[in-house]
Amino acid sequence: MIDLVAAEGLKLRTTRLLLGMIPAAVAISLAGVAGTVLVHGGGDRAVLESAKGVRQVLSATGAGAILVLVVGIIISAGEYRYGTADDTFLTTPRRHQVLAAKLAVGSGLGLAVGVVTSLASIGIAAVLYSTEGATFPLDDAEVWLTLAGTLVYTALFAMLGVALGSLVRNQVLAVTGALAWFAVVEHALVNLAPDVGRWLPAAAGQAIIRTPLDGLLSPLAGTALLATYAVAIALSGIRVAATRDA
Amino acid sequence: MIEVRALTKTYGGQRAVNELSFTAPAGKVTGFLGPNGAGKTTTFRCLLGLVAPTSGAALIDGRAYRDLASPRHHVGAVLESTGFHPARIGRNHLRVIARAAGFDAPRIDPLLELVGLQSASDRRVGGYSLGMRQRLAIAAAMLGDPEVLVLDEPANGLDPEGVSWIRRLMRIWADEGRTVVVSSHLLAEVAQAVDRVVIIRDGTLVTEADIADLTADRVTVRVDRTDAMLDALQAAGADHELLADGAISIAARDTAEIGGIAARAGVTVTELSRRGTAETLEAMYLAVTEAGGQ
Repeated sequence: MIDLVAAEGLKLRTTRLLLGMIPAAVAISLAGVAGTVLVHGGGDRAVLESAKGVRQVLSATGAGAILVLVVGIIISAGEYRYGTADDTFLTTPRRHQVLAAKLAVGSGLGLAVGVVTSLASIGIAAVLYSTEGATFPLDDAEVWLTLAGTLVYTALFAMLGVALGSLVRNQVLAVTGALAWFAVVEHALVNLAPDVGRWLPAAAGQAIIRTPLDGLLSPLAGTALLATYAVAIALSGIRVAATRDA
Repeated sequence: MIEVRALTKTYGGQRAVNELSFTAPAGKVTGFLGPNGAGKTTTFRCLLGLVAPTSGAALIDGRAYRDLASPRHHVGAVLESTGFHPARIGRNHLRVIARAAGFDAPRIDPLLELVGLQSASDRRVGGYSLGMRQRLAIAAAMLGDPEVLVLDEPANGLDPEGVSWIRRLMRIWADEGRTVVVSSHLLAEVAQAVDRVVIIRDGTLVTEADIADLTADRVTVRVDRTDAMLDALQAAGADHELLADGAISIAARDTAEIGGIAARAGVTVTELSRRGTAETLEAMYLAVTEAGGQ
């Protein structure tokens, strides 16, 4: 299993995928944080320095996770796109092991991206706060709880992507489907039925990164729920891989 | 050794492989022949655990592929469908497989040299020609120094020099005691290299034979009055067959004997020859492919 995880890591490092996606994910997160400081703060120190304000600003760090989800999809579905799945399954005929290794690599990548974006977010937030005449409350527990949430959130989104790509093998379909879900479909469903909305994956994610919205689950419940989504989809993916012909 | 036992694979009601049985022993190159669409690739995919058989079994040294302890060490496969990530360099393609298979110190450089890719090994596979990809696939198959080699149309995309290189490789592998199975829809590509043939059509076995057994003497004769010659052969009790081109093929007789029969029947012989293995095989395969085309 260690060899398989190492091999999946090597696969990821020997293409140019991360070269484009990781900087883009960090950039999106930073843009989200900067935008929130400038728009939400509106020059009002009190708003920016309030617990809610800090949470609002830092939860924008999670914006880059959507690209990590895309990377996760490509980790799985990319094998079918380029026809390398045959070679992978020749080496590892027990296909659930392949998916387990991909989930491990995906979550590791998500954590790493989470750490990078979190540190960058604190940096840019501190700079922008000072230009707005406010002080970024580095010693506030809100800051660290929100950033811890970002790590969990990014890792779970990566796993969600890996799982999704194993279930929907058509990479283009999986990526467009996932983007449509998180950008449009879930928002529409939330508006239609707010009681159901909190149980959907994007809302579970917002709970993890402590976005100050009404009606969200607690961060822990959100973590459990999003993890359940990832595991359920991964199990379906395993079923598909085991029964369908490669 | 490879054993295929009553293998059947159905796709949407269509039988791609139908009750197919054959064996490919160690130490021999077995040619797996049949026209395009005969079920060769499906048979290989069942054998390699990539596709689940509808019924029957395809075994490698008595085991299903997924039950092999170290598949890459046991079996090397070159499949037509094998893909490469276009952005990955050739060397890294091999490193990924070696890592996943758990090979500690893979002999990547000697392999790259063996397949003639050492100068291209640090280039992205996206820029490789079809022949270079085929060579990389062969290197990947050999990473685990496997006892069994399964090659699906390996000559595709190779130049004549490459085709003859593949033939030599297969000969060496078989002489080392490995099991080698090679599929082709073109007999000429593999005829010189195989010790044994398995011919299929429409997913069904047509012939399975060692080349040595095909050398049973056959004499071909052409005469001016074919009907008279056929009568004379009938009277002599010779096992004979009229070929499509008007020649007569006779089993297990030497040429002098046939010449004698012709002389006694008063027909004039225009051609009299002993048919070699290659021609026998070719006639057999031609009969299969022509029947398939009807």
